[in-house]
Amino acid sequence: MSNVENILAHPVRETVVPAPRPKITAEGAGVRFGSVTAVEDFTTTIREREFVSIIGPSGCGKSTMLYAIAGFLKTTSGVLKVDGEPIVKPGPNRGIVFQEFVLFPWRTVLRNITLGPEIAGLPRAEAEERARKWIRLTGLGGFEDAYPATLSGGMKQRVAIARALTCEPDILLLDEPFGALDVQTKNYVMKDLQDLWIAASKTILMVTHSVQEATLMADRVLILGARPSRIVADVKIDLPHPRDPADPRLGQYRQEVTAILSAEVDRSMKIERSR
Amino acid sequence: MTMETAAAPRRARPFALPMALVRPVVSLGLLFGLWEIAARTGTISAFLFPPPTAILASLWVSAGPNGDPPFGTLLDIALSLYRLLAGVGLALVLGSLIGLAIGLTRWGRAIFKPIISAIMPIPTLAWTPILLLVFGIDNRTTITVVFIAASFEIIYNVVTGIEMMTRKTYWVAASMGASRIQTLRYVIVPGILPYLITGLKLGVGYAWRALIAAEMLAASSHGLGFMIYDAQEYMDMKSIYGGILTISVLGLLIERGVVGALEKRTIEKWGVNVER
Repeated sequence: MSNVENILAHPVRETVVPAPRPKITAEGAGVRFGSVTAVEDFTTTIREREFVSIIGPSGCGKSTMLYAIAGFLKTTSGVLKVDGEPIVKPGPNRGIVFQEFVLFPWRTVLRNITLGPEIAGLPRAEAEERARKWIRLTGLGGFEDAYPATLSGGMKQRVAIARALTCEPDILLLDEPFGALDVQTKNYVMKDLQDLWIAASKTILMVTHSVQEATLMADRVLILGARPSRIVADVKIDLPHPRDPADPRLGQYRQEVTAILSAEVDRSMKIERSR
Repeated sequence: MTMETAAAPRRARPFALPMALVRPVVSLGLLFGLWEIAARTGTISAFLFPPPTAILASLWVSAGPNGDPPFGTLLDIALSLYRLLAGVGLALVLGSLIGLAIGLTRWGRAIFKPIISAIMPIPTLAWTPILLLVFGIDNRTTITVVFIAASFEIIYNVVTGIEMMTRKTYWVAASMGASRIQTLRYVIVPGILPYLITGLKLGVGYAWRALIAAEMLAASSHGLGFMIYDAQEYMDMKSIYGGILTISVLGLLIERGVVGALEKRTIEKWGVNVER
């Protein structure tokens, strides 16, 4: 094979960074409970390894959308896809972490974390090996044999995160993951989660009501409006990771998101009062 | 000064008896002591209320080789425990299954809930005449009484345990790809275990009481209930009190010892609160 042919057969690709593939696509997705519309016309594309945050006034249906993507709830309109396949049920490719941790109190930290691989049919030794990696990365070393009831909130949330990651999902869905933690603990877990995200190269979708959390961690912040809610803004946070909370540019983003959000909260309060 | 005293750790006395043991000994000792004195001095009828030491002595004899029949009280205890164990075991298996059916399935709720609501207000002993006609004077009669008495608490607590489980618990399992059987095995069964144990504890208590009563009505021979009933025929007050004492001690041992040990290995170890 001549040199020219070789070049033609293997075109230089190293210089071109391919755009990450779409991981989650939503086209006009909506969820209705009886006559109440929780979310409607939810349209967005979340790409591979993107960290997207959904923020909005309380009761705006942001968790509802997350649960629909997880497969816990069914959409009543539009299309919701993961890897181009419509979502029909929950699956191990989407890990979930709840605000309330939802650990299994009868299992130790280690056994909580190995449950995913155990369910997948992995032998116990292999499940434990996989769990150890995430126990180490989430800073749970030494607590393997503790029962959840003896742990602090921050530790419980680490267990929940490690448990979700041990299932090796492509997508991590976080439902107000810092909501039950005190400020100090929250800052630690947030910092760790950023590092984990960088190390694990997962797609993360996080629901929160905190502008600070959303702007600090996410590549993009989707702002949901008052009920029935839809996306009112899609703010790209164009700063490298990991971010410094004291970065003045971050402050600007915070102000921008806060301004849009405040307008939505005002509107939602007016709607509520007029009822 | 007062602050300092409050903050200072309490110095452990090396030979201090645990207060949890001292208090019941003192209070029961006082009761039996007064009884003993009153009976011995003739303040109360020593026939109707024989002194506790005499009751213990009589119990010692009837449980020994010189009893009538030899080792009779031990036989009574063994038979009562056998009936309790068989009935409670049956209730544990069937009660759990019925509880799971009610808690997890629509058909289970539809079939069992009305039946249980109808049967629950009936005192267990009311079944004894029917059971006597069906089974005759037989262990099956008393075992069935125990079974009925223990079942309701077990069923009720299993159902409560399932209701207490949040949908998010199921969601976590589902996001791990758990099948229905795996959800049952890894989530529902261990999740209801603390409730099942609470149900068992209450159920055993009811069953023990029902068994003694049923033995008075339905046992042709032996069992602690029968022992008391039979002793009444002969106006053997010491045996009556001996039987009552045995029932109390055994009941306490079963509730605290057996079920308590189960609780220690589950509820307490996990730090779970059982809400009822």
